[in-house]
Amino acid sequence: MITKLRLAGSLAALTFLLPGRLLAQEAPAPVKVVKIKFGQPEPADFDAKSFVADSAASGVVLYDYGSTRFRLKGTNFQLESDRVTRIKILKKAGYDLATIEIPLYHRGSDEEKLVGLRGFTYNEVGGKVEKVKLETDKGFTEERTSNIRVRKFTLPNVREGAVIEYAYTVTSDFYFNFQDWTFQREVPTRWSEFQATIPEYFDYKMLMQGYEPLALQTSESQQAQYNLHTEGGFTGGSGLFGGGGSGRVAASNEVITAQATNYHWAMQNVPALRDEPYMTTTRDYVARINFELAGTRMPGSGYRNVAGNWDKINSELQNSDEFGGQLGRVAFLDAALKPLVTQYPDPAARAAAVRELVIKSVKYDGTNRYSASGPLKKSYELHRGTSADVNLLLIAALRQAGLPAQPVILSTRAHGRVNETFPLLEQFNYVIGLLPLEGGKDLLLDATEPLLPCGLLPQRCLNQTGRLVGSKEQAGRWVSLTPAQRHNHYQEIKLKLDEQGNLVGKVHEEHGGYSAASVREKLQQLGEKKYVTELANRHPSWEFPAYTFSDVAELSKPLAFNYDVRQPAGTSGATSELYVSPLAGFGQRQNPFQHAERTFPVDFGAANKDIIVLTLTLPQGYTAELPKAASISLPDQGGRYIYAASSPAPGTVQLVSRLTLDKPVYGAEEYASLREFYRLALAKQAEALVIKKP
Amino acid sequence: MLLPIFSSLVLLAPPAPKYPADAIAPALRENAHAVVRAYDKTVVVKSASQLVETVHRVVTVLDEAGSDDYGQLMVDYSSLRHISYMRGAVYDAQGQLLHQLRPAEIHDQGLGDAGGSFMRDLRMRYADLRQPTTPYTVEFDYEIVSENTLFYPDWRPQADENLAIEGATLQVTTPTALPLRFEEQHLPAGAASAPVATATQTTYRWQLPAAPAVEEEPLAPSLAEQQPDVHLAPATFEVQGHAGSLASWQSLGQWVYQLGQGRDALPPALTARMAQLLTTTPDPRERARKVYEFLQGSTRYISVQLGLGGWQTAPATSVATGGYGDCKALSNYTCALLKAAGLPAYVALVGAGAEHPDVRVNFPSSQFNHAILCLPLAAHGTVAADTVWLECTSQTEAFGYMGSFTGNRHALLLTPEGGRLVATPRYGAQANSQLRRTDLWLDASGGAKATVRTRRLGLAQDDYAQLLQEADPVAQKKYVGNHLRLGHFTITSLRLAAAPTSTLPGVVETMGLELASVGTVAGRRLLLTPNLLGRLGTLPAQVGPRLTPLALPTPGLYQDTVRLHVPTGFRVENLPLPTQLTTAYGVYSSACTTLPDGTLQYVRQLETRRPAGGAPLPAARYAEYQEFRRKVSHADNAQVVLVKTDA
Repeated sequence: MITKLRLAGSLAALTFLLPGRLLAQEAPAPVKVVKIKFGQPEPADFDAKSFVADSAASGVVLYDYGSTRFRLKGTNFQLESDRVTRIKILKKAGYDLATIEIPLYHRGSDEEKLVGLRGFTYNEVGGKVEKVKLETDKGFTEERTSNIRVRKFTLPNVREGAVIEYAYTVTSDFYFNFQDWTFQREVPTRWSEFQATIPEYFDYKMLMQGYEPLALQTSESQQAQYNLHTEGGFTGGSGLFGGGGSGRVAASNEVITAQATNYHWAMQNVPALRDEPYMTTTRDYVARINFELAGTRMPGSGYRNVAGNWDKINSELQNSDEFGGQLGRVAFLDAALKPLVTQYPDPAARAAAVRELVIKSVKYDGTNRYSASGPLKKSYELHRGTSADVNLLLIAALRQAGLPAQPVILSTRAHGRVNETFPLLEQFNYVIGLLPLEGGKDLLLDATEPLLPCGLLPQRCLNQTGRLVGSKEQAGRWVSLTPAQRHNHYQEIKLKLDEQGNLVGKVHEEHGGYSAASVREKLQQLGEKKYVTELANRHPSWEFPAYTFSDVAELSKPLAFNYDVRQPAGTSGATSELYVSPLAGFGQRQNPFQHAERTFPVDFGAANKDIIVLTLTLPQGYTAELPKAASISLPDQGGRYIYAASSPAPGTVQLVSRLTLDKPVYGAEEYASLREFYRLALAKQAEALVIKKP
Repeated sequence: MLLPIFSSLVLLAPPAPKYPADAIAPALRENAHAVVRAYDKTVVVKSASQLVETVHRVVTVLDEAGSDDYGQLMVDYSSLRHISYMRGAVYDAQGQLLHQLRPAEIHDQGLGDAGGSFMRDLRMRYADLRQPTTPYTVEFDYEIVSENTLFYPDWRPQADENLAIEGATLQVTTPTALPLRFEEQHLPAGAASAPVATATQTTYRWQLPAAPAVEEEPLAPSLAEQQPDVHLAPATFEVQGHAGSLASWQSLGQWVYQLGQGRDALPPALTARMAQLLTTTPDPRERARKVYEFLQGSTRYISVQLGLGGWQTAPATSVATGGYGDCKALSNYTCALLKAAGLPAYVALVGAGAEHPDVRVNFPSSQFNHAILCLPLAAHGTVAADTVWLECTSQTEAFGYMGSFTGNRHALLLTPEGGRLVATPRYGAQANSQLRRTDLWLDASGGAKATVRTRRLGLAQDDYAQLLQEADPVAQKKYVGNHLRLGHFTITSLRLAAAPTSTLPGVVETMGLELASVGTVAGRRLLLTPNLLGRLGTLPAQVGPRLTPLALPTPGLYQDTVRLHVPTGFRVENLPLPTQLTTAYGVYSSACTTLPDGTLQYVRQLETRRPAGGAPLPAARYAEYQEFRRKVSHADNAQVVLVKTDA
């Protein structure tokens, strides 16, 4: 049996490390390795019966094979990766599967090169399979950026029912960048297989992630031979096998034999990967294996730890010119910082003032990095920089202002979750500051978003955990990024009902935490008038005779929005009674979880709180039949909905609707209760009061 | 030409402030995220095959919302369009230089992945001068040398909402032998100067005065149709050695036709196969349908835009062997197939897209972005003459159907005699209809089960046809679910199927729903809006007086029949009053009756109209239209009241 790797309820179970020595023990029961003959499709590929179960798919990846091995180019190692893919096109919507883009990286004289591209399209015409060759000269190469060249090609004669296949080899001078292998796509995959042959000189860490089980997982030792070619001439000891000394060397060829490990992984019948709302990024969920060079063990020299561990990453960052090297004195801010130190003795207040100074000095250009793009003085002079330029400047400025701030590296939501068991710098793409305050509290600081108050991280940073980079090697530690602040929305509504059923009143709305951030953002883009127009659009019959916003620029305070509202009567029923659902227009209109099924966790980033307190004044002498109170709790203290109706004084009704979600992330198995929770909340908010004449 | 003064010598003297923000008149700050301080465009026609466009643009960014759009500059280029230089500088609010753009700060990027283009040589350079504090002012200078003289640059200084201008100029210099053609739109009086002619060349000048920012209003014509604009075009031009004239639609069509000439040869076997249809399918329309089905089953669309390839079709043989091509290649190929089947047709150029404005018919110029096919069918026997239009890039489009992508507009036929501007098919309300029948079984707590059958025809089915053809069932459910305006529901079943009429494509959607609290419980009563799914979308509220004309959407016909099965233990206490509205904007009726078996039947129909056809209506009509929509909305939301019978 294949072990199912899905462990409900535990997010950490999404990824796991594959330690080399455990591979043999954990290997699942053997499956038959699927093999194909390139240039010769199977008759079953043209039999409709083979695809009955895929009626929903636009295409099926029948076979996807990759293998990566090392070879020597002169005295330097190169990676050589083969790819063979065969795809069945089921529907016209799947034609895009026949256009392939291969990005190739190059930097200086090092490059990735595509060789040996070949491909065929097969169509069944009148019972016979017709084979058309890919004309590789019809491809197209685009220089997308100065480092990335994209090779594109499209298979000919693609029709419904066609089978396409292509194969190529990519050679790469970047052996630090051992490409990951993705087993899963937007269409189902019958067989996806990856092989890696790694000589004893290299130690790679391998990380498996996703929700799909492996059908095959083996590793075996073998002998590998590498052809070492040394150019004649003077050598200065370059290349991995360059040796220590230098001197006149004759050109030579030598065959080196080494121990190598051949790793082999495969997945079978992998379902299509789909996007869902409230997700970080599909990259976090796709079935994939990642590789990271941990160390090298070259002949004649000992083990050289390349990535190793978090302590090493810590020192590497501290010693890096683009990271630790930037956190020294920022003389150019001296004059601006000095008055802040005297003006704000309190560390938190001073930090806020320093952050304000950085926000006004350097604009975040939208690029996310954890290390600086150049000297901080340069971004200061340009008034613009990446997240790292902005926030490293913030940290340096805080330190210069006498505040012991430290950098915390993290991965943004779009970049994917960080795996703590995998000491790998590539997992990160962002840096923020941390300032320890009295009482053991940490203040997390970011200066990229002028609309956020000090201490509130941008939404993109709310990705569970970050890594503090300490000034000493062992001082690094994990820092929770889960915010104390919520999406906080509070409405206090006072309405007066007349005998015709019209409602008139005043609304006081407060947005705090992340809710305030999004309203301020919206106000900046739309302006007050369009903001109110949008609100009016949601309530076509309502009128908004007056409105004011306050504390829009007071970021540390909740944003307040006060408005007058007039709602004309709905349909009247029996003449002696009025039915009003006063809360209905103020709550959520739709269940945010429309779809009945869910595969992945729901990730809000922060907790939620939505409170409405409504006081309704009835016409003189009228009484109201009050709806029943309700209280609904999510399992595991996940959240609560409370609804209460009361009559605090004759002729008045008070309705309270209070929705709290206490966790930023809910597992997929909690989805059904989360959806039901919203259904009940919406139903209570929609409930009508029956208002009667005496 | 004067070189812009960027020399460091200038820095020796205290620099004079440039474009200080406080010099902007208060009226221009109103509703503005940014103010154009100067926008001077110079176009010099060097020859029939080359023109040089120089732009000097200064914008003060007033607030953060204007930063992304105006603090950066992006200029695209290609093999026929080269950037000679790009310069920039940024000034603070007082007009003091903050930073001068350095060449190393200009980024260069391919645009090949944009819009799904397979082969495209379009690239862009961009510079970012956004600042952390507003206001600030950016000054950009760039020059483009274009060898694509089929297109002359446009001049629309106030292209966006929330953007004010202090002024703008356009100057075009052209050799006397290459007269300029231009079309002015919404220009204030005095904007154009009299052309100045010398022995060898003529110079034209336009100038716009200061103008406050405008804001887009709902149901308004696009800003492009409302703002001052000067469209430029050549009389004669030459692209990569191919000379042409834009004197008329005829001559433009001639040029494109000739580019494609001799590219329609098919492999002999294919010609023979098509010719065979002459005997097997004598009816011309049926034969054309067979050819179209063959095309759809054996080709696909791959976009190619390289140099002259933007206008010149790939040979029909390349489509025959590779099975793919772009719109020109596939139209040309289909034209060749039809010809072989004894059906002469024409390739036609069109400005495609539901939002694409129609061709400005009085200004022959290249206003197209797509190619389709037009097949005239002569009268034969009792069958009247007809014209069939074919979309050759779609593998799924219905035969002879243009839809909202290419219907209701003009197209330029490419004939051996040259171009001819003709109308593509018109789709009125009947060809944009949605008929729905809903059965709703309500329970005592306000929940319900429902079955819904919706048939959409013509324009109304365009999106659903795409959904049917291109999305899998999970994606279909997601799309349909996202478009239901219901609080909480579960789609228990969903099926889409093609259901054409003899003249129009159609899609039937059959859906099962489980609804929670669709009825509102009020003590012993249940309130329910019987118009469950067909409520007309809300009209954006009007804040302040209406300023811009009213552009109404394409007419449509929407019909809903709802059978409401009352739960046991309840009786009807109150039904919505019947409503009947007849206005210039539409005809509306709704009524709810009790059928003999106690079921409630709600029938609602809305046919929307456009009093002036496609032309915009004066702003003053907005209030009247709003009133119509308000009444419809009121009737749409009317409720049925049910009451418990047991007490």
